[in-house]
Amino acid sequence: MLKRTMLLLVVTAIVLTALIGCTPRQTNTGKGEVVVYSARNESFVLPLLNSFEQQTGIKVRLLTGNETLVNKILEERNNVQADVFLSNDAGALEYLRLAEALSSNQSPALKIIDETYRADDGSWVGLSARTRVLIYNKDLISEEEMPKTLWELTDPKWSGQFMITRGGNGSMVAHVAALRAVWGDDKTTEWIGAVRKNAGAVVNGHGDIRRSVGAGEYAFGLVNNYYFHQQLSEPTNNNVGAIYPDQGEQGIGAFVNAAGVGLLNGGPNRSNAVALIDFLLQPDQQRAFAYTSMEVPLNPSVESNPIARPISEYTTMAVRLQDIGAMWADAKALIERGGLDLDLGQ
Amino acid sequence: MTSDNKAAITPATTRHNPWVRLWCGKPPSLFLLGIATAVTAVMAIPIIYVLIQGVQADPARWRLLLDQRIPALLQRSLGLAVTVTSLALLVGAPLAWLVTRTDLPGRDVWHWLLALPMVIPPYVGAMTYIIVFGPRGLMWRSFGSTFLDVYSFTGVSLVLASFTFPYVFLLASSSLRRMNRNYEEAAAVAGLSPAQALLRVTLPLLRPALGAGALLVALYVLADFGAVNMLRYSTFTTAIFYQIGSFDQSSAAILSVVLVSLTVLLLYLENRAKAGVRYSSVRGTWHCRQPVRLGKLKPLAMAFVTTVFLFTAVLPLAVLIFWSVTGIANGALDQRFFGFALNSFVTAGAAALIAGILALPVVYLRRRHPGAVSAFLNRLSYTGYSLPGVIVALGMIFLFNNYVRFLYGTAFMLILAYVVRFMPQSLQATETALSQVPPQLEEAAQSLGFSPGRVLRRVTAPLAVPGVMAGVSFVFVSALKELPATLLLRPAGMDTLAVRIWIEASEAFYHSAAPAALLIVLLSILPLKWMLSKY
Repeated sequence: MLKRTMLLLVVTAIVLTALIGCTPRQTNTGKGEVVVYSARNESFVLPLLNSFEQQTGIKVRLLTGNETLVNKILEERNNVQADVFLSNDAGALEYLRLAEALSSNQSPALKIIDETYRADDGSWVGLSARTRVLIYNKDLISEEEMPKTLWELTDPKWSGQFMITRGGNGSMVAHVAALRAVWGDDKTTEWIGAVRKNAGAVVNGHGDIRRSVGAGEYAFGLVNNYYFHQQLSEPTNNNVGAIYPDQGEQGIGAFVNAAGVGLLNGGPNRSNAVALIDFLLQPDQQRAFAYTSMEVPLNPSVESNPIARPISEYTTMAVRLQDIGAMWADAKALIERGGLDLDLGQ
Repeated sequence: MTSDNKAAITPATTRHNPWVRLWCGKPPSLFLLGIATAVTAVMAIPIIYVLIQGVQADPARWRLLLDQRIPALLQRSLGLAVTVTSLALLVGAPLAWLVTRTDLPGRDVWHWLLALPMVIPPYVGAMTYIIVFGPRGLMWRSFGSTFLDVYSFTGVSLVLASFTFPYVFLLASSSLRRMNRNYEEAAAVAGLSPAQALLRVTLPLLRPALGAGALLVALYVLADFGAVNMLRYSTFTTAIFYQIGSFDQSSAAILSVVLVSLTVLLLYLENRAKAGVRYSSVRGTWHCRQPVRLGKLKPLAMAFVTTVFLFTAVLPLAVLIFWSVTGIANGALDQRFFGFALNSFVTAGAAALIAGILALPVVYLRRRHPGAVSAFLNRLSYTGYSLPGVIVALGMIFLFNNYVRFLYGTAFMLILAYVVRFMPQSLQATETALSQVPPQLEEAAQSLGFSPGRVLRRVTAPLAVPGVMAGVSFVFVSALKELPATLLLRPAGMDTLAVRIWIEASEAFYHSAAPAALLIVLLSILPLKWMLSKY
């Protein structure tokens, strides 16, 4: 009797968990599902994915994470879980493509984006541009006083006055990878070491920087331009400006990265994944995407949020995004060598 | 312990069989032994696997970490653990004495009011402290000063101590209540002043309880991820979390080995401290005695108790309620919220149920068939106890991604992690419940002709069920609150309430985070009531 009761309980437990374990895999619409790994801020992604769900009936399963999803994707290469990767950074996408974690995509919809901002095989495509700028608090520092080049951040006179993100932040990694291409390894390592020493705070993400600079905790910080736009749109603490660094004839130019989407190799729902990428490239979605995140759409026919400065108005760094991919993993090692930890509190 | 007399009538020949002797004459059926062994294996394998991976990791990696990370992390982790534990003792022990031994007004109410901070998960507590004392928090906006830098060592220590001191408080007051007061009376008769009696009699008698409470607090601090990380501090646990996040698994495994060694060392030291002193106390002579009169010190004592309560319960709860109201007014309780709540309930519920069921064969084996084997299996099942969720998660990722691929990325992986982590709570409750069933009742039933199965159904089970259910509810609440393993193991599209609190709080969307946090706190009150009746 005891045996039978226990056996019954154990079997019930196993069946129950197996059922629960499998439920997320089943879908009720019949159109199937698509699994999205996203390193992007969830509040920008969710409205788009919701309208995709409504229009197509395809269920979207979203996992919001950060740039470490790149590693998760590589780790899962023999057991692919996701179909699509929404990245903040073209460098990470190209890195995945070189590792053969992405699959080529022949969809004609991709043609709408200039070929500088997508992979030759279509495995990833850029959706919006993000420029690295210095956000500053106008109450604490004037435009004239602000440093105009990134190299100036190594000057001890800025000690304790500005904020940067941790070294592992996707935008930071790509930025360093681009600087390597221009400055070479030694100068870049030196820059990282000095900036780390001067920084008043090293924080997890750019959201922390814009809020703290807006509130006057620090005079300025290194962010992507749309964080400046977001802070500008806040009801309070919005007296902020932005410096596009390294302008002028001698300047190396501001670094422009692209946020984009990659098609994963061997994902469980390939056709739905292609449908989602096509959807994200529609002008309507591009506009919605750029307006809410305040980035600049890469599709030239889509108008950007009026608050954002178009790319054509400033000098940009002459580095092709494709070239960053190969340097991406190396850049992380270089950042650590320079003395900036990839993660907070190391 | 023996509940039937089969051993006595076993023929002499089998009694000399080594297998039978191993079980003190009562070998279990192979079926029961098989199930208990399987359960134990599931509990222990993930962690043992991590440790093996760590020990076998590339020596160059070891050297790199030993040179750079490990000394700093040791200093930070131990520094925090020692500081928080000291704070918890300094606050918890005097409170316990005030509430149990003095004429403090309203002391019965204080007994459960001061246990209340325990239901607030430290990461939720940390969020409320950031809201109030953050660089641009309520204090700064109202008074132009934050009064406390939450992102400092002091800040982290205070926040963690605020939500862990009840462990010391509860264990100490329980011990004070049960303590035989004759010793204190003898001290008074011998001419010791009340203060001297407190220091020389009561405090030494309280040492085991304080030691156990301190151990719980220290283990908690070493294992905590959420609060420590929210307050921008770092310990072994947060470092391991980030290493897993960046899939540097060999570094994560190496750091895990160090952290586990630290935990084992703590357990060993506490055990030794206990073993060094022998206490024998005669019970049953307890009688009512006048409480210590606080006299002029009463206002001071009241101020102390009220201040602690204000900062550890009123403040966080008020903040949560305020932001929940704001959030709900803005429609935070939408369909998504209920989806997250459902995910939480399903995963935590399944884990609790499984932990409840799986505990039965292990405990049953140990109780009915005592011996070296059952004791060993029982010990092994406690592996998940006191180990951080991050290490359990690491074990799950290792095992499932390499050997059980079809279940990788499903909720099953998460549920199993909860079971491994929290099963000891269920084991403990089940063990207590079964040990409280008097064997005489079972023997009486058997002598009246009941079959063993019928005894179990009609006598043992009805008496033990409440205790077993208490264990199930403990596991449920613990799983509901669990953060790091959930963050690492949740399948795509299956965020839980704890995960949402984390995501929303990191974006400073407190109105979205608060309702979920409040719900978790309210659900945690249920097992607290049960615990308070026990202590």
